[in-house]
Amino acid sequence: MYVIIIGCGRVGARLATMLVNAGHDVMVLDLSPTSFDRLGSEFAGQTMVGNGIDLDVLIRAGIERAQAFAAVTQGDNRNIMAAQIAKHIYNVPNVVTRIYDPMRQDTFKALGLDAISPTVIGAQVFYSMLTGEESRENV
Amino acid sequence: MIEAHRILVPVKGNPTDDEVIQLALELARRQKAQVFAIHVIEVKRTLALDAELQEEAERGEAILSRAEQVAEKVQQTLHTDLLQARDVGPAIVDEALERGIDLIVLGITYKKRFGEFDLGKTAPYVLKHAPCRVWVCRQSV
Amino acid sequence: MYAIVAGGGKVGFYLARELIGQGHEVLVIEKDGARVEAIANDLGNVVLKGNADEASLLADAGANRADVVCAVTGDDEDNLVICQVAKRRFNVPRTVARISNPANERIFRLLGIDATVSSTEIILSVIEQEIPSQSLVPLLRLRHTDVEVVDARLPSDSPLDGTALRDLRLPAESLVAIVIRNGEPIFPGGSTTLRSGDEIITLTRTAHEEALRKAFFLGG
Repeated sequence: MYVIIIGCGRVGARLATMLVNAGHDVMVLDLSPTSFDRLGSEFAGQTMVGNGIDLDVLIRAGIERAQAFAAVTQGDNRNIMAAQIAKHIYNVPNVVTRIYDPMRQDTFKALGLDAISPTVIGAQVFYSMLTGEESRENV
Repeated sequence: MIEAHRILVPVKGNPTDDEVIQLALELARRQKAQVFAIHVIEVKRTLALDAELQEEAERGEAILSRAEQVAEKVQQTLHTDLLQARDVGPAIVDEALERGIDLIVLGITYKKRFGEFDLGKTAPYVLKHAPCRVWVCRQSV
Repeated sequence: MYAIVAGGGKVGFYLARELIGQGHEVLVIEKDGARVEAIANDLGNVVLKGNADEASLLADAGANRADVVCAVTGDDEDNLVICQVAKRRFNVPRTVARISNPANERIFRLLGIDATVSSTEIILSVIEQEIPSQSLVPLLRLRHTDVEVVDARLPSDSPLDGTALRDLRLPAESLVAIVIRNGEPIFPGGSTTLRSGDEIITLTRTAHEEALRKAFFLGG
């Protein structure tokens, strides 16, 4: 499948590599060209320097034919905006976004976005490891 | 002895209330000054500023009554007022400006926050912004 | 009216000041401590320190009873999220977002934020008003509709010189509101006659703009 990832930080780079290794067609967008160093010289996907919330950039990156979109930039709001553009304007079937702030994640999940909060997940994992049980709370 | 004609004493139901009222009244007696005791109800922004807060109002009235009793014991007059404001510090400063106050007497309790003595937020604000003289009385430990 | 202004930069500050001057209750939300102090010193106790895109902070700010939230930070994406959280989580009846990139007007509208203000657009339209051209200069869009107020300046050799308004073939759903001649506004009637150099202010649906332009400039 053709996947667009915006944000080539640690998670973005790792995700891109995983997808390429699994045989998918990957395009990574980032504002800074040096961030692509994280992909390594053997990266078999495509990269583009550009702003993931700019429609012209997204079109050039092929969003009209993307089947999946991952928003993993450093900024929650940028991710939220990009994911909504992908989902509601370009109807990309599978859109996932990272939102660190648990409350914002809540709000946008309720709006229909597939949002992952590393804050929430991380705390849950630590909780289970420390107490030996799954947390029943949705904090 | 310093001159003061209009003294403002904010009270909040602390152990220091009696002390500051007595101090202000004593000074007023010598100078023939007027003393104003106020209690400020802090209204959260989730409510309108003039919202009816019955519990807080009753508590405030009780605090002011007690102050009046202290004044009665020494046979002096005390003017009291119950206010609602977003923050206590600015409300005290505004009252001081409006009433032409020349001395504020403030009481603080001995509080610790994160293991350190803490002045709270009202006292520093009043000390920084009051248009007149300020006396701060800290309770004994 | 209770207005929350998210962003205590120049725009937020002056907006807050104007609203306070008009007698409204205002709260500015700003994340930089120094700005917070400066605003408090100038405008009084009307500023809260924090991030306006955080629901918990908006809750403390009384967003539940706000009549309007104006998101005027310097970042379009932050303004989008602030307005969306205010609307969806707190049911704030009106939200206004400042946008720097005019292209975002369309995106915001598609994502449910109707009222956006782009100073870039405003400045562009002011510039265009000064330059005579054969185009309609959009002045204002009437909110929640696709009706625009447009400005057409007839050139010095206009084919419409001497034509009465009633004889103009205007597209449907267009209304000439005012004709400005030598700086004087004329409230037109059907018999009002157009002259070269007239500035015509018309209300029209966006879809009819091209037909309107042809009517004014090509004597259609």
